[in-house]
Amino acid sequence: MKKLIYIVAAFLGLGWNAQAQTPKGSVLIKNATVLTVTQGNQENTDVLVQDGIIKQIGKNLSAPSGVTTIDASGKYLMPGIIDAHSHVALDVVNEASSPITAEVRMKDVVNPFEVGIYRALAGGVTISHAMHGSANVVGGQNATLKHRWGAKDPADIIMQDAPRTIKFALGENPTRVHGRGNGIQPRTRMGVEAVLRNGFNEAIQYKKAWDTYTSAKSQKGNTTPPPAYSERLQTLADILDGKIIIHCHSYRADEIYMLINVARDFGIKKLVFQHTNEGFKVAPEIAEYTMGASVFADWWAYKFEVYYSTAFNAAILHRNGAITSINSDSAELIRHLYHEAAKTQRYGGLTDDEALAMITINPAKQLGIDDKVGSIEVGKQADLVIFEEHPLSSYAVPQMTFVDGVKYFDIQEDKDDQRQLVAATEMVEPIFLRADEEAHRCMQDVDAYFEAFQGAFLEEHHH
Amino acid sequence: MNHILKTIYTLLLALMPLVVLAQIDGDFVKPRSGKFLLQNATVVTITKGTLTNTSVLVENGKITQVGANLSAGDAEVIDCTGMFVYPGMIDSGTRLGMVEVSSVPETVDYAEIGNVTPNMQALTTINPNAEAIGVTRVSGVTTVLAVPTGGLFPGTAALINLNGYTPDQMYGGFKAVVMNFPSSGRRGRFDRRSDEDIKKEAEKSMKEADEIWNNAKNYLELKNSGATLHYYPEMEHLSKVLAKELPLLVQVNAASDIQNAIQWVKDKDIRVIFSGVAEGWRVAEDLAKSGIPVITGPVQDLPTRQSDRYDAAYANAGKMAKAGVKVALRTDEEENVRNLPFHAAFAAAYGLGKEEAWKAVTINPAEIMGIADHYGSVEVGKRANLIVATGDPFETRTQIMHVFIDGYRIPLSNRHIRLYQEFLERSPGLKAN
Amino acid sequence: MKKSFLKAGLLGLLVAGFFIQSANAQSDPTGKRRVTGTYAITNATLFPSPGQPGTKSTVLFKDGIILGVGSGISIPAGTQVIPGDSLFIYPGFIDGAGSMGITKPKDPEKPKDFVSSAPPDELAGITPWRTAVDQFDPASSEVDDWRKAGFTISHLIPDGGMIPGKSAILVLGDGKSTNLIRANTAMAANFRGSRGMYPATASGVMAKFRDVYQNSTLALEHESLFASNAGVTRPKVTPTQSGMAPVIQKQIPVIFEAPKELEIRRAMALQKELGFNLILTGLENYEHLIPVLKSSGIPVLVQLSLPDDKAIKAQKEDGVTDATQAQYARVKEAYEAVLKQAAKLEAAGIPFAFSTSGAKSGDALKNLRTMIENGLSEKAALAALTTNAASILGISRIAGSVEKGKLANFIVSTDSIFNEDAQIKHVVADGYIFDYEVKKKTSNGNGTTKPGEGISIAGVWEYQTESPAGSTGGELEFTQEGAGYQGSITYDDPSGSGKAKAPVKNISVNGNQITFEFDVNAGGTDITVTVSGEINGTTMDGTMSIAQFGSFPLTAKLASPSL
Repeated sequence: MKKLIYIVAAFLGLGWNAQAQTPKGSVLIKNATVLTVTQGNQENTDVLVQDGIIKQIGKNLSAPSGVTTIDASGKYLMPGIIDAHSHVALDVVNEASSPITAEVRMKDVVNPFEVGIYRALAGGVTISHAMHGSANVVGGQNATLKHRWGAKDPADIIMQDAPRTIKFALGENPTRVHGRGNGIQPRTRMGVEAVLRNGFNEAIQYKKAWDTYTSAKSQKGNTTPPPAYSERLQTLADILDGKIIIHCHSYRADEIYMLINVARDFGIKKLVFQHTNEGFKVAPEIAEYTMGASVFADWWAYKFEVYYSTAFNAAILHRNGAITSINSDSAELIRHLYHEAAKTQRYGGLTDDEALAMITINPAKQLGIDDKVGSIEVGKQADLVIFEEHPLSSYAVPQMTFVDGVKYFDIQEDKDDQRQLVAATEMVEPIFLRADEEAHRCMQDVDAYFEAFQGAFLEEHHH
Repeated sequence: MNHILKTIYTLLLALMPLVVLAQIDGDFVKPRSGKFLLQNATVVTITKGTLTNTSVLVENGKITQVGANLSAGDAEVIDCTGMFVYPGMIDSGTRLGMVEVSSVPETVDYAEIGNVTPNMQALTTINPNAEAIGVTRVSGVTTVLAVPTGGLFPGTAALINLNGYTPDQMYGGFKAVVMNFPSSGRRGRFDRRSDEDIKKEAEKSMKEADEIWNNAKNYLELKNSGATLHYYPEMEHLSKVLAKELPLLVQVNAASDIQNAIQWVKDKDIRVIFSGVAEGWRVAEDLAKSGIPVITGPVQDLPTRQSDRYDAAYANAGKMAKAGVKVALRTDEEENVRNLPFHAAFAAAYGLGKEEAWKAVTINPAEIMGIADHYGSVEVGKRANLIVATGDPFETRTQIMHVFIDGYRIPLSNRHIRLYQEFLERSPGLKAN
Repeated sequence: MKKSFLKAGLLGLLVAGFFIQSANAQSDPTGKRRVTGTYAITNATLFPSPGQPGTKSTVLFKDGIILGVGSGISIPAGTQVIPGDSLFIYPGFIDGAGSMGITKPKDPEKPKDFVSSAPPDELAGITPWRTAVDQFDPASSEVDDWRKAGFTISHLIPDGGMIPGKSAILVLGDGKSTNLIRANTAMAANFRGSRGMYPATASGVMAKFRDVYQNSTLALEHESLFASNAGVTRPKVTPTQSGMAPVIQKQIPVIFEAPKELEIRRAMALQKELGFNLILTGLENYEHLIPVLKSSGIPVLVQLSLPDDKAIKAQKEDGVTDATQAQYARVKEAYEAVLKQAAKLEAAGIPFAFSTSGAKSGDALKNLRTMIENGLSEKAALAALTTNAASILGISRIAGSVEKGKLANFIVSTDSIFNEDAQIKHVVADGYIFDYEVKKKTSNGNGTTKPGEGISIAGVWEYQTESPAGSTGGELEFTQEGAGYQGSITYDDPSGSGKAKAPVKNISVNGNQITFEFDVNAGGTDITVTVSGEINGTTMDGTMSIAQFGSFPLTAKLASPSL
């Protein structure tokens, strides 16, 4: 089905100059228990999707001609799951070679062929936030992806209407890579703050130099030459102008608090913390000054800065009023975020709606796309998942996943081998004996920056 | 209301011994043994069905009675109305207690240097006070197999109960010599050896394994003949497998390796358990025919091959069980062993079924390890490893209300819970005062 | 050097003497100078350009220029006549982008104040001022090998980092001249990051490319402001910026090496964003992109190499499961798709040419025939190697066909070159004639050397290996010791900067297969590294394996033969 759409799209001028039109579908899903997330649960309810948009939610809707009907009796329908922290579908994760690499764009290295996209769809995830890694204090700009599996053009899986976001990182990773690995600042959490303040102050000067030049340029007899160009500083200036949402890898309460202070000093309001294992200690501050935290359900103790963690983190943050989401940062976890969110019920007793919000509307808010996705509401993009069993049950099994009303995963129909690219010289398919190699990529590509064999020590978990 | 509480506290304080240390505030709740009656529960025995309105009496570390209308006598009564009693769960492959923080090498004690080190004892390195133990047991996992990693024969695994102050107090009565079966597979996307090289290397490793095995055989034969042998702890321990004192826990994952391992152990008169077995579903019939029991997991894992169906790891246990393989589950984890019930749930949902999934974390591992007389079900005479829950412990919404290990009532607290208690409503809050 | 010629299998470098233009009062005591620069190949079957039928013709050329083509040519006195009655003449092949005879210049020492986050351009692989001309050795054995395969002109890409420098078009004639046709034809670029410094990955390279481009643009603006207005600070133009100026001014295109589908898209995205002229080279997987390439009009140079068929041949018919069968089918499908790619380009009407980078000269004609078997027309195949390449490189006026006034570059073969039995007897390049031994029909195809037994490996080899940590390399040295070898290897010291050296052990040479081991000390423990490979002439192709870490491809070139 989706293959056909692409063939048709190709005929309709998916050309070099024409902006590719991504496929949009129409479907009527009938008799589901609809978990809208924002507007409560509705039993035996129909959802009509036309041209990729949710058009109607109600009872006894009938399908316009040509629109497929899917009977979802006894099943649950929820919004497509959104992962606010992923590295799936990226050819490069870390440009680790400088403490600030704001000029680097993950959109440049999106790989639509990675089978991880399909596996995420099979776990009900329709949108992932493909992030730069955590090797440097200011990493590259991230890409928000829509999982339109089968697309060959990276541009077709990039959510073009999502705002810009950028990766920051505090604590052990950037201080190890630069301070200890290469003998340049930062080596300490003090140095991390200095790198941030230096960067923003330079960005202010950069912006001023360009403003001066731009106004002088048009005047007669101008003697002001153009300043040097720096996308790095321009990007930092864009952050100061509120054009980019910061997503900051962080663990300890002190470093989280530090960045809140830096952001307040520079008037930055668009700030989300990632991982945030000790976020619970500064939950009131996170709630007051930031766009919240995106956390693991229960990961801890894999490194020293997460030793003093608690699985109740999400619940504490949420109860303190911080926007809280649960993310994966893993090609494995991304496949069962519904289950990860459900852990907030064991660790903190959140309600179904609160738990589901952590993987739908809350990450949508943190990515600045909550007006488009993240709940089942008329007018929103039709990213939907049908579940057998309630999605917060440990026995839940995703059945079908839709992006823009187009079905990309169907447990009954999809073939086993989903690889889009197969090497012509492949003799024996490689076997991945532990998920680790594939799953944990927060520090991927850092080795390219370290000397050859020394890099091997980074292979272990370093999210 | 607050008033009343305050009055009571004041009274209590007044009654307390006068020797108080000013810096120590509040009581610490320790695990305690005693006689407990878990009254009026739904008891999921695993081996003898599910019994409603049933009570369980725990005495001297054991289950002494299971039945309706048991009289409490002098037992402490725990009202379990509306709740469920299950046997404690067993995770058959972990590094729990052998590491504190995985990225801090000083705290990582599960991997020793050397290729043949069967004399390395997991039980020795268990830290009874590892933070992760307290975090794990409140989830209902009461018993785990601690497995060393490393070379070809990395050490001797040990079963431990998650309560006690010394490794011996924790020991659960099962040990096994671990073998990492040589792999003939491609090790991932960066492994660009030619097929021939892979084959050669695998043959070389197998030859090496055979040589070491023969060495152990010779050692045992000479020792049995009464010879005085030079101190050789590696062979001393390896020969325990040959003498059937200890089973061999063979870690093997790729389909072709599993088949090779079946062949390799076939003519050796030893007790064998396979562990890992990630691609067991590909050779389930062969495994079933061999009669070798399997410990498999993690269930929540990626498929081993890019071309595999997305749910290959979820469905693995179910496919093997269906073919007739006796299956137990493991997380292969350290700090995340508490997720064992969720791994089991995924296996259940993707083909194993709830009943078999429960067996895979209780009676099956007990039988595989030969400790079913003491563990793995709620039966009279067995050790009192029990959990009381508000519902199905595989479900995240279920709360675990009580945990008993060897008859000790375990306090339901740990660092995660204490941090919750302290920080849910932090004081001072937002504004400093 | 002479020895490596022989090793490469070139049997006779006949007639190719020295044709010295300026008299320097010296005769030629070597006796190798050619007697005349005027030749005629008479009465051969000539295919003057792609699509034209073969006709019996004589080709007359002098000092590298074709003087006449046809049946009734009068042959002036002093012409050396080569009877071509049973022979076939084709235009000499043009390599759209190659690296034959190119040696990467040594990296400069790191300065004392080196900071890995802001390295000097030269260390970061940004050297737009460099030129392929300086890196080219026309006497290299690689040049011989490619000429033997019919190539007479190569567009040479300098070696280096992300912007290695400017390319040049050279004729593969006599090794004693610079052989330059045109210098500074394009700016080479690729997605290779620098080891241990910024930019380290493809994403960093793209960001840095934008930065270099934009600042080079601003430098030109500054220069023009300085030239027109008083009171303007002096522009401090860097060598990088002045090197990039012809690109910014659209005088020369950027030739981007982009083998994989996504790399092609990335190069095109940069082009779209910055607006430079673009040539895509080294294309390996491009099937899905054909419509996009077509509508873009960007010239493309596809790899002449094809994937090996080892995997296909290793597929078993019997005794495999359905699942394995399905896997086999997918590999086969992928393999066949690669072979058909060129035909699809032709069908789409894209006038592509070939790049020899990464290809083996001995396989060139074989690969071409495979593409033809898979749907490429002979006309398009020949065009890709001649007229299309000439057109993309802007040298159609002088090259690409056998016509009066064009360069005397052509192939003389025993049969139609598309015929499997055809052998190249002569290659004429720049008017010099190179002769090759024509083997009897029973020979192994196109006359590649058969690796002899107990092949000699003695000498210094420069090797390169690709690992997830990036590419690295060093020197390998073997010396003969009785019947065996001893050796040493240098590699990047894992404990810091510089190179470490280790003895090589367990060296075994069997036919053209070599294996050896060495130990690397990393953090106090020795890691054994195993290398195995296959030697072909002066190159080694193999893998470097490190237990627990995996295996990585390794290539080596004999740098100084025989100590």
